Amino acid sequence: MRNAFFLCVCTLFFIEMGVKAQQAPTPSPWENPFSQAKFVPDISLILDGSFVYRNVKNHELEHLWIPGLQHAQAEEAQHGHSHAGLNAQNGFNFNYGELAISSVVDPYFNLTGIFHLSENGIEIEEGYFTTRQLPYGLQLKGGKFLSAFSRTNEQHSHVWDFANPPLVQKVFFGEEGFNEKGIQCTWVAPMSMFWMLGTEVLSGENELSFGKEGFHDPLETIHIPEKDMPNCVTGFTRTSFEWKDFICLVGISSALGESRIGHGMDVSGVEGHGVKAKTQIWGGEVTVKYPMDPIRYVSFQGEYRYRKMDGTLYEKDNQDAIVQSDLIKKQSGGYGQVVFKYGLRSRVGLRYDQVHENNVWQNGLPMPLPHRMYRVSVMAEFNPTEFSRIRFQYSWDHSLYKEESLRAKPVHEWLIQYNLSIGAHGAHPF
Amino acid sequence: MKIRIASILFTIWGTIALAQSLHVVTTYPYIADLVQEIGKDHVKVHALAKGNWDPHTVIPKPSMIALLRNADLLIINGAQLEIGWLPPLLNQANNPKIQTGTKGLLDLSQFVELIEIPTSISRAQGDVHPEGNPHYYLDPERIPFLAKAIADRLGEIDPVSNAFYQHNFQLWQEAWEKKIEHWKNQMAPLKGTRVIEYHKLFDYFLKRYELVLVGTVEPLPGIPPTSRHIDALGQLLTAHSVRFILHDVYHPDSASKHVSKKFGIEMKILPHDVAAFPHIKTLEDLFDDIVRRLTHE
Repeated sequence: MRNAFFLCVCTLFFIEMGVKAQQAPTPSPWENPFSQAKFVPDISLILDGSFVYRNVKNHELEHLWIPGLQHAQAEEAQHGHSHAGLNAQNGFNFNYGELAISSVVDPYFNLTGIFHLSENGIEIEEGYFTTRQLPYGLQLKGGKFLSAFSRTNEQHSHVWDFANPPLVQKVFFGEEGFNEKGIQCTWVAPMSMFWMLGTEVLSGENELSFGKEGFHDPLETIHIPEKDMPNCVTGFTRTSFEWKDFICLVGISSALGESRIGHGMDVSGVEGHGVKAKTQIWGGEVTVKYPMDPIRYVSFQGEYRYRKMDGTLYEKDNQDAIVQSDLIKKQSGGYGQVVFKYGLRSRVGLRYDQVHENNVWQNGLPMPLPHRMYRVSVMAEFNPTEFSRIRFQYSWDHSLYKEESLRAKPVHEWLIQYNLSIGAHGAHPF
Repeated sequence: MKIRIASILFTIWGTIALAQSLHVVTTYPYIADLVQEIGKDHVKVHALAKGNWDPHTVIPKPSMIALLRNADLLIINGAQLEIGWLPPLLNQANNPKIQTGTKGLLDLSQFVELIEIPTSISRAQGDVHPEGNPHYYLDPERIPFLAKAIADRLGEIDPVSNAFYQHNFQLWQEAWEKKIEHWKNQMAPLKGTRVIEYHKLFDYFLKRYELVLVGTVEPLPGIPPTSRHIDALGQLLTAHSVRFILHDVYHPDSASKHVSKKFGIEMKILPHDVAAFPHIKTLEDLFDDIVRRLTHE
């Protein structure tokens, strides 16, 4: 009887072994031995679009400018710049697609490529490496990237709390931001509180504040050569104060460089102008966040920026005659915004934007430019999940002026924006 | 003068002692408690997230970057629970010791078996985790695997104290096994009890003590409840004679309360991590509290 039992157990044991052997993965003749599927980097795609209604027609809007700061779109187009911009048209807008691909290169580098897809083509918005192994709290970043001059500039548009960037960001750097080729070095201090210092050497090609392309007039009476070395240096520092759940982050940034901007100078028989100047931009920022519970929070974000340009203005009339004058620009502005997340999926926000100093001197004489240009925006968001957002926004824009006169043209803008993402889970820095 | 010299010496000694102890940063408080149990005074440990907040969507703070900057070891829950908040902080911390692929980054989810691994992945199913349900640490019997992994890794990084860590692990394990027996006995009468929960948070705990999960108040992970879903849930509740609704400390409890009231089912608010309630100071407290709340009327 006992033997029989033993036999039985043995049999079961061997059956069990047999089953185990059968469970071993069966080799498939179709398996690709060179498959690299496991090495696919993190990929995500974000689409952003909107429907806009304004009290001015598209063609009127194209001829509005921000005096002393930004040309009208129509004029920009004449100079060969095409800035479709976000939410530019009344009606439907396809703002952008953002394709982001990133992964670890090797033990030493990470690599990120961010591609900006528009109806007209694909641009490399950012493409950079960051180091993984530098000691002493250092990190290098190189390639083409958004400068760390202020937190606002570093953020991609899908992270913004409003559908468009703050006015100071738009007039000093443009809607695409201060995005440059160069190298960045950051250092995080070995302290229990956060303190970061950083510097960048940048190509300095931003069309609104820097620029390195030379220009000349048709008769070559003036000839400003192209600058072929890096044109801009930035420095920035940020630190935070925290008390219980209350967070306050403050930062100072600066960017120093040269500006060479030539608009229509080399074309005979049309009006044109060029600027060669030394430019400095300073910025101070503060971000405060107070989470009331795991879901709700109130945040305040504010920034002040000051720009000084000191150089020479070349003006060419349609007879190709050149007038040269000393140019000094001192301009500054800022914004403050409050965002309240009051539910799992809902946020509301209010922003006030202003350019309040717009001093331009030509040969020591002040130019008659408006000073207080402002905009008020309110928004309400519904975020079904982390991956989708629908935003309603109303702006009352008092920064735009008619080209021919210096009369303000208040623009009322209503928009509905959607922003959706698929693929790798995005995560946003503080 | 003497006092001044003494204070200077004390400061220097303090600095050296600080430099000698291993700086460990953990994402959640429960991991910090385990590290403290095993590392004792050889480690200085900080948790990034708060125990009473949603572990999926921790609000990142600049001070977390400073903690990560100075860490010798970062221990995470893994299974993508930190995916929404940790990677940018790690990137900004400029610390080569704790980068992915180094021994300074320990992912605890690698040491336990996960459940509810989806066979197909689509975000149409809500906020799904491809590796499986990430709340595995709510099973007391999985904790020893985590503690062992922590002891081993501490020993690897700080070989001089390896024996110390292993010894502490042994002591901890003996005490923990007694607790496991205790919880098992306490939970035995609840075997087969039918429950629903707000989020799929306590699944490992329920599975361990053989409670039956009938449904969730959330229609899909991360999606807030709708009235249609609650109606459908109501039919399930009556059909299965569900006894408890388990709710966590961070989601709004209005929907669970509504279900509780409408269908006359008792709602239990359960802690999910150390410090979810102020009196929960350790992992042992955490399970004691969960068991007490479930077994006491």
